[in-house]
Amino acid sequence: MNAPSVQAGPLGASPARAAISLDRLGGVVALLMGLSLFWLPFVTYRANRIVSGEPRLLLQALPVAAVLAVAGILVAVAGIAAFGRRSTVRLGAAVIGLAVVLPAVGFSAGYVMPPENGFARVSPASGFWLLVLSLGLLIADSLTRLRFGPWARLAALAVAAGAVALLLASGAWHDLSLLKEYATRADSFWREAERHVFLALGSVVAAVAIGLPVGILCHRRPALRGPMLQGLNIVQTIPSIALFGMLMVPLGFLAAQVPLAAALGIRGIGAAPAALALFLYALLPIVANTVIGLDQVPATVVDAARGMGMSRRQRLMQVKLPLALPIILTGIRIVLVQNLGLATIAALIGGGGLGTFVFQGVGQTAMDLVLLGAIPTVALSFAAAVILDAVIELTGRARP
Amino acid sequence: MIEIEHLTKRYGETVVVDDVSMQVGEGTITAIVGTSGAGKSTLLRMINRLIEPTSGRVLINGQDTMSIPEDALRHRIGYVIQGHGLFPHRTVAGNIATVPRLLGWDAKRIAGRVDELLNLFQLDPAEFAGKYPHELSGGQQQRVGVARALAARPALLLMDEPFGALDPVIRSKAQDDLLTIQRRLGTTIVLVTHDMEEAFRLGDRIAVMDNARLLQEGTAAELLAHPAEGFVERLVGTAERPFRLLSLASVRDALEPGFAEGEPIEVSTNLRDALSKLVWTGRDALPVVDETGAVLGRVGIDGILAHGRRPA
Repeated sequence: MNAPSVQAGPLGASPARAAISLDRLGGVVALLMGLSLFWLPFVTYRANRIVSGEPRLLLQALPVAAVLAVAGILVAVAGIAAFGRRSTVRLGAAVIGLAVVLPAVGFSAGYVMPPENGFARVSPASGFWLLVLSLGLLIADSLTRLRFGPWARLAALAVAAGAVALLLASGAWHDLSLLKEYATRADSFWREAERHVFLALGSVVAAVAIGLPVGILCHRRPALRGPMLQGLNIVQTIPSIALFGMLMVPLGFLAAQVPLAAALGIRGIGAAPAALALFLYALLPIVANTVIGLDQVPATVVDAARGMGMSRRQRLMQVKLPLALPIILTGIRIVLVQNLGLATIAALIGGGGLGTFVFQGVGQTAMDLVLLGAIPTVALSFAAAVILDAVIELTGRARP
Repeated sequence: MIEIEHLTKRYGETVVVDDVSMQVGEGTITAIVGTSGAGKSTLLRMINRLIEPTSGRVLINGQDTMSIPEDALRHRIGYVIQGHGLFPHRTVAGNIATVPRLLGWDAKRIAGRVDELLNLFQLDPAEFAGKYPHELSGGQQQRVGVARALAARPALLLMDEPFGALDPVIRSKAQDDLLTIQRRLGTTIVLVTHDMEEAFRLGDRIAVMDNARLLQEGTAAELLAHPAEGFVERLVGTAERPFRLLSLASVRDALEPGFAEGEPIEVSTNLRDALSKLVWTGRDALPVVDETGAVLGRVGIDGILAHGRRPA
């Protein structure tokens, strides 16, 4: 190729020739959007929830006027993604794109669905998912380039959550298969979601309550550190299913021998072994990060604290723990995100949680049901990560 | 008054401080000087019991430090270390308030004391109270470190290489400031340094340590006039001796009646600087003035040199 007229790269060409410059990631996003708009199915129609579906392109999925509007707006967004240079503009374009695509898929479901047919299902297809992914990429990229502070990121998360809630409440997605699955299971959905959060959060809280003192002890007694961290490391390497199995026997025995344990709901299967396993998985990162966090407090700072007459307890509470906090919180972030995901497995041993829908869906080859369990799990992990990252940044601010 | 009596610290077979006895007078600065590993930091840290002595004792105003609970003892003794050791998660005000808070002062009294100290160290409270240590320059951090140590009005201040992390220009200013503040507050200071120049500049008395032992202790003039043989002699620096002696005396000591041409010298200037000025301007004598500029007399090159001669 000779003398390319467009220059690749996020910084574009030199200002004199920069009338048009192609953004590398934006170019890929635009390409994906074009592909999903015109070649991939937007939704899938199925006569009932388990038969295989018929793909529908965007052109067939909406009335002509709506197709023109949606395609027109998204092509414009793709253009901004590829050639737009200001991150705020690109972010705005991506948000507008999502604001068009998300309601459109709900509208499409109502349009494709034959009237008076309670069994037919319309679900988002690869074209829709790819569109959402591309727009998500564009948003993530713009947010990274804008370098939002922690408060702005929390606000962005709140806005996103509010928008999704609004979309759900408005009934725009009412005809989508996912929401139909939800409608038939609304009660159990919230029960399992609550159980899921309880399992994940509860195990993390318990792990912090135990892991923090253990970490402090390991920091004070270096002889303990090696064996303790090795032991927890081994626990970490046991696959989750195997750990559930290993816990069944002692917990079952406990339930059989101690009436109080049984009365408290402790059994070989169910929530107890699930919570215990999640707790054990959470221990290593918390203990390890507590030890590392306390160890990295500068020796001169601790010496000064001692020299001013701070007792051991005062040094720990007023100097060492506050200075170790960002690292300890990083450990908590790791285990919270990890356990929100791992809690799905609890359903395998009757522990409940959103995994219930995933495994039911797999059993019935009903993809929509799998998504009903999977999407909230992913959303919860994502939100937890964003929130804790912001908290970590806020607590670590006053340091060099 | 601090009395150190036969203080010894042993780690297994190694003797780090070997039978050191000395006294530190009320309101004076004692500089403990020596090479690294001489045991001077250990000696200092035994005074506030950061290190427990193997044998011997320390009396503060007649009271054995072992009879005071160690935290309570340290609340009464200021402590400054090299690299300041400020708490990175607390503001300047929070750092200075550390010991008053431990002592349970009320918030108003603490705030008043913090302002007072910031002003004393020429740090504007409005600007600096809310800053974090990493937002300060090295010199400012050092001043906050000293202010923090003085917060609860300790009668005794221990300083371990307090200026070690500063560059020479800032160090010299920080030493002057410390002297000014010490004269004003009358705080007793024991200071550890490896820099003989610093010891001469700050110390009312100088204690020289080498290899765990206290070799000699006395005023700067005594050390210069009669250094103990060997290590102290080398440390004092044979060639430098006359000039060090000159820097201990001021123009006032060599003041002569009479008149001289040239740019006047202030009467508080030390003789080393006065000599330097005479040599540089190529004159034999210069007029001497007081702070107000009134002429007091003159200072001549012979009069200055007499002060640099070996004392009888």
